[in-house]
Amino acid sequence: MNDRVSLAHGAGGKQTAELIDKVFKAHFSNPLFTADDAAVFPVEAGKMAFSTDGFIVSPAFFPGGNIGKLSICGTVNDLACMGAEPLYLTCAFVIEEGFPMDKLEEVAASMEKTAAEAGVKIVAGDTKVAGKGQVDGLFITTAGIGRIRDGVSTSGAFAKPGDAVIVSGDIGRHGCTILLARDEFGIDAQVTSDCAPLWGTVKAMTDATQDIHVIRDATRGGVGTVLYEVAEQSGAGIRLFAEDIPVQDSVKGVCGMLGLEPLYLACEGRLVIIAPKEHAQELVDVLKQCPYSQDAAIIGEVTGDMPGRVTMVTELGTETILSRPTGELLPRIC
Amino acid sequence: MSKPAERINMGDAKKQAISMIRSYDGPPVRIMEVCGTHTHELFRLGVRGILPEQVTLISGPGCPVCVTPPDFIDAAVWLALEKQVTITTFGDLVRVPGSRDSLASARGKGAKVEVVYSPQDACTYAKEHPEEDVVFLSVGFETTTPSSCLALEQAEREKISNFSLLTANKTMPEAYKMLQGSADIFLYPGHVNAIAGNAVCQQLCRQGISGVVTGFTAAEIVTAIAIALSKFKEGKPFFVNAYPRVVKDEGSPAAQALTDKYLEPCDTIWRGLGEIPGSGLRLKEEYASFDAYRRYAIPKMEGKTSPLCRCGEVLQGKCRPVDCKVFGKGCTPEHPIGACMVSGEGACSAYYQYGGVIK
Amino acid sequence: MCVGLPARVVNVKDGRAVVDASGAQKEISAQLLEDLEPGDYVMIHAGTAIAKIGSDDEEETAGLLDALL
Repeated sequence: MNDRVSLAHGAGGKQTAELIDKVFKAHFSNPLFTADDAAVFPVEAGKMAFSTDGFIVSPAFFPGGNIGKLSICGTVNDLACMGAEPLYLTCAFVIEEGFPMDKLEEVAASMEKTAAEAGVKIVAGDTKVAGKGQVDGLFITTAGIGRIRDGVSTSGAFAKPGDAVIVSGDIGRHGCTILLARDEFGIDAQVTSDCAPLWGTVKAMTDATQDIHVIRDATRGGVGTVLYEVAEQSGAGIRLFAEDIPVQDSVKGVCGMLGLEPLYLACEGRLVIIAPKEHAQELVDVLKQCPYSQDAAIIGEVTGDMPGRVTMVTELGTETILSRPTGELLPRIC
Repeated sequence: MSKPAERINMGDAKKQAISMIRSYDGPPVRIMEVCGTHTHELFRLGVRGILPEQVTLISGPGCPVCVTPPDFIDAAVWLALEKQVTITTFGDLVRVPGSRDSLASARGKGAKVEVVYSPQDACTYAKEHPEEDVVFLSVGFETTTPSSCLALEQAEREKISNFSLLTANKTMPEAYKMLQGSADIFLYPGHVNAIAGNAVCQQLCRQGISGVVTGFTAAEIVTAIAIALSKFKEGKPFFVNAYPRVVKDEGSPAAQALTDKYLEPCDTIWRGLGEIPGSGLRLKEEYASFDAYRRYAIPKMEGKTSPLCRCGEVLQGKCRPVDCKVFGKGCTPEHPIGACMVSGEGACSAYYQYGGVIK
Repeated sequence: MCVGLPARVVNVKDGRAVVDASGAQKEISAQLLEDLEPGDYVMIHAGTAIAKIGSDDEEETAGLLDALL
């Protein structure tokens, strides 16, 4: 097989079949992986969750993961946040002509590994090849379906005054990792992406208590954006305690250099959990036992004071409004 | 539910300063933080939440982005679109509105705009892209200007001929004179004084204008306010260097010499304040080849601002952002009309983002 | 107007220095400061070390407030 993806690999003929066999089937093989037009599987009674997400990330490979791992985690975590055990995924690839075959293989391998860890089966896929320059390397879209655990019902609208706000770990690592990997500002720091599949984490929490109001994964806009969405959806206020928010030192350092707010840096393996205060410590204890949430912490509370706003108790003991993010993150120098 | 303040473990200095501020019982006083970074930090830390009623904080003009006039942005956009020049800039300037376009919207029309961390990174970019004409947007006060000069020094030394500066550098002394009367006490910008020294502030003190130079951490900011209030009660003009760990009386002679080598004073327009004689810096004649104005014969730009915008009065502390008709309506950080809404340091942006203060 | 970042000098060579702020490292210009040595703390602005830092902010402010009383 060629060492780079060519337009012929996307033409639907012999070379397409070869690409699918050698790369995708080799990694995604399971009895349900379809050779037909659609995957067929039995469905149990109960509620299902269904979600889709597209992934473009530059660079496609970064410390702590790659676009393949990200594409599995993203959809798995979206399902998990609804209390759904991820069952089946589909994935669609748009590959730039000339993309190295060994890199594609590496992406498929990490998708296989991550899917196995999350307990989800890849049951259908699609491959297109776009001409040089029409896409940036590789775009992946995944869709997934999962079965919602009985008794679990979460939504941003369910946050109530008296709830505690928990994050499952230190924040901003994925965004910081990508920023450093682009190497636009000549900054070096030991930061790896937090990208991780979190169904196991949600399962452990919902084993402990099903009285959880909100579970959200903080992706693109970071924890701050999620909290503003929850405040708006629920009409409650959210009060954060600045000094309780876990941020890795090196992430703080990078943010200091560029004038960025860690609350608005992307995460790919962090949950924001909102639950009645009486369960908060128990949930944190459970989270600390799980592989991706040892640094879980209670960072705030839901209040009736400032509907729709997120506030922050500062190091002076005063309370201020958390500023909202404004579009593109631009480093602030002067 | 515990009161927020009880949860905070504060250092003794911070606690002591806060208690001194809270117990201030002197006459009404207006304190102007000159520096935009102070404006930003005062909001972020919620400092207004600890001030007694008779103490007012006014946000001054010390944000280079806010005081950069629209014709400067127009010139940069013209260079990018008409002369196909690569614009290198601090991130802060990218969204500032010009007469028609910001650099961000010009990018959509094909302008090449590179955000850099420092002027020297811009010079290095020029070196690595010899086929491009590279212009760095040199804005900033005393603190930032030496960095631009270091980039020029590098360009001279390494014979990088495709690099030049579009200058809009400004200096503070004349601006202080113009602002006197706007406030009773200035909080002087620590990092300007780190370069320029304290002589100007000491001179102003002899003329009856009080001030405290301070740093940027929570402890430094509340300490400076505590000192200012305590001295104000004594009724005599004062100057205190409350940031001696960084600010020396003489400033940085090396930085001053560097600035003097390449630049000379000129009259300049401050967005909102108008022309302040002698408060700008331009490249000296012998460095004309590094001067984008001369190199590209940039025509006079329109420099149009929205007639509704009151940034000028905001910058002089004559009105609050909320007094402006377009504040929060037509003018938001996502779609700024005036410069004070663009920069994270701008008074309007800070007011908008932090939506007032909770006591 | 001038965001500053305190950082520790890791090494100095030919007017350039690598500085470290909480584990984030960056090369900056050290041309404005003489006799910089690894371990010194400096204030960084726009890629340039603009001043050496004498002491810690808590320590300094405590001293300033004591002097007032």
